[in-house]
Amino acid sequence: MERLNQIKDQITAPFAQSQETLTSKKSDDVVIISAYRTPITKGGKGYFKDVKSDELLYRFLVEFLAKLPSDFNPGKIGDVSVGNVLNKGAGATEFRAACLAAGIPYSTPFSVINRQCSSSLTTVNDIANKIKVGQIEVGLALGIESMSQFYGPGAIADISDVLKKDKEAAKCGIPMGITNENIAAKYTLSREDQDKFAAESYQKAEKALKQGLFKEEILPITIDSYKEDPDDEDEKPQKVTVDTDGGPRANVTAQSLGKIRAAFKKDGTTTAGNSSQVSDGASGVLLAKRSTAEKLGLPIIGKYIDFVAVGVPPEIMGVGPGYAIPELLTKNGVNVSDVAVFEINEAFAGQAIWSINKVGIDYNKVNPRGGAIALGHPLGATGGRQVATIMRELKTGEIGVTSMCIGTGMGAAALFVKE
Amino acid sequence: MLQFRTKGYQGTALHYSPFYDNKLLVSSSANYGLVGNGRLYVLSIQPTGEISQDIAYDTQDGLFDCAWSEIHENQVVCANGDGSIKMFDIGVKSPFPIMQWKEHQREVYCVNWNLVDKSQFLSTSWDGTVKIWSPQRPQSSLLTLNTIKPGFKNNCAYQGTWNPHNKDMLMSVNANGFVSVFDLRMGQPLVQEFLGHAGFEILTCDWNKYRPNVIATGSVDKSIKIWDLRMIQGSIDNSPMNGNTGSPIPMNQLLGHEFAVKKITWSPHSAGELLSCSYDMSARVWQDYTADNNMSRFRKNQCKMFNRHTEFVAGGEYSLWGQPGWCGTVGWDEMCYVFDSRRL
Repeated sequence: MERLNQIKDQITAPFAQSQETLTSKKSDDVVIISAYRTPITKGGKGYFKDVKSDELLYRFLVEFLAKLPSDFNPGKIGDVSVGNVLNKGAGATEFRAACLAAGIPYSTPFSVINRQCSSSLTTVNDIANKIKVGQIEVGLALGIESMSQFYGPGAIADISDVLKKDKEAAKCGIPMGITNENIAAKYTLSREDQDKFAAESYQKAEKALKQGLFKEEILPITIDSYKEDPDDEDEKPQKVTVDTDGGPRANVTAQSLGKIRAAFKKDGTTTAGNSSQVSDGASGVLLAKRSTAEKLGLPIIGKYIDFVAVGVPPEIMGVGPGYAIPELLTKNGVNVSDVAVFEINEAFAGQAIWSINKVGIDYNKVNPRGGAIALGHPLGATGGRQVATIMRELKTGEIGVTSMCIGTGMGAAALFVKE
Repeated sequence: MLQFRTKGYQGTALHYSPFYDNKLLVSSSANYGLVGNGRLYVLSIQPTGEISQDIAYDTQDGLFDCAWSEIHENQVVCANGDGSIKMFDIGVKSPFPIMQWKEHQREVYCVNWNLVDKSQFLSTSWDGTVKIWSPQRPQSSLLTLNTIKPGFKNNCAYQGTWNPHNKDMLMSVNANGFVSVFDLRMGQPLVQEFLGHAGFEILTCDWNKYRPNVIATGSVDKSIKIWDLRMIQGSIDNSPMNGNTGSPIPMNQLLGHEFAVKKITWSPHSAGELLSCSYDMSARVWQDYTADNNMSRFRKNQCKMFNRHTEFVAGGEYSLWGQPGWCGTVGWDEMCYVFDSRRL
């Protein structure tokens, strides 16, 4: 049998890249210098509910740059790319202002990227590609979302009547919750399984929180004047330093989640309890060419290998990771079992379960510190959040994958090595 | 064109005798070498143009390669699927080997006799080692060279060849994508190592018979690359800062095969001609323009095709005898062909 496989391999010629080649250190590698995030707070309720998105990004950036070696000159950053979904024009103006205010000089160019929930993973890919082809040596990939500020009826896209007549095009307007109901119906995923998956997310996050595992990746953010109710004139604004995620709750079980009503469809299976939370947060990943990082004396925590985005039917957009991850792994000659940790965004329990089963991943390797159901899903910041988390989950030499589904029908996945 | 059918057995390699101008050695396996017996044919080309079978030796496992002794006209060795190397004497009327070595842990894929120091031959195996042997030493190998790279799933050493210009130099190619050049005079025999085909498995290699520093490699990436070993620098240095970013640049690249290149061999008569055998069911004869030191190097590579085989072409060699250009090939279609490559 082995002889047959050998001849098959000779004919199909898979790339004979080994794990060692993936983890080897070459001077032109794209490496991760640092990856951090803000605490993620609940949309409309948490500490960031009245913080404007540009202010949140500015405060995060100040802390982010302070974490770098004191002799690092932010002018060395060759480009900044910000992932955002809900701001008008993805915040191209106000986030540039945030960069300047935080001390990144005007000479460093800037752009925004909106690929829905994968926006900040796409910025990581954007910066890494620019480093790979030699346009820049050091680059900053950011992600920011204030769902408190922008999420709501106004966030629904306005698809023109002409396009609505096109059967395929109209599917882009399907609400995300319904796409998960479609997956649950098509692949018969039960409410119980989805609640169980969601409860495990809460339990993992609660445990990680108790052990203080998020401390390393979170940069505490100080807000000058927090008021629980901004309209209450009697309440005194107070200075608050936020250092903990607002999403995780203790003692969540599948039974307690089972009591919640379906949110999108009568007798549906998708509820507020087994979907990702509406959240506010920001994330950032500083990338550089290895030789430059060594020259500048920057620490190296990991290595970026590759990124893949694929298209899937819009009406079941949640299957995205199930297609993106295999493509990413095949392209790089990596087996599912070679990967130590998968950070797969839990937009909804149903789509996450389907994707994990499709790829054939061991559940113990998925989101070991909980996912978006427990931690929250600040759309444009999630990709960078996953990178910040996985860099702390992996041990030196281990391979990790981050992935998510993308509204309007896509999936993205990226491959990293911890150093 | 002459032909012979290795009925029931699929050919894996063919070699011309260095002593008789009409004798061929063909190794073969039943069931495409996947499972079952092997058979080693000794064939004679008759003056009438027929190819006849002198003798055939049956073995317990498939045979993947064979070689003539360069020092004794009757001795032949074969590479066995069970990890053994067997030596037969075609002058002795016995179906059994006269000598047998069993050290390799897995299938032996190649045996190659040293053309300079004719007392030695080498073998390569799926166990990732290259071993050097001598018939004067029946009890064990003389030396074991390791080509295993930790972390790789497949470290099969597909082929090794002795340098025809230097008795102490040899190279091997491996499924892990590396070409390894050894100099046995050195304390650390591995003197050069590089990724030949950007990480793709390399199945075959040969030293140019006229240009001492020139080699050719054939890979599952369908290409044949021609290298000047002097132009491959710093390839053993694995430090991250040496700027070594994978595959070095070959002198020439021969593209045309539609599937993996299984076997290549340089012409014994011309510095710029080589024969290749491929899974695309063709054998091709190439003119490598880098051999000429004149304006003709700006010509394109020329390629002629032998397409009689109806299955994978697994082995082939140029005849040392007669008019230059005669070749023999064997393949999975159970056919052995002898043809004049100049008339293709």
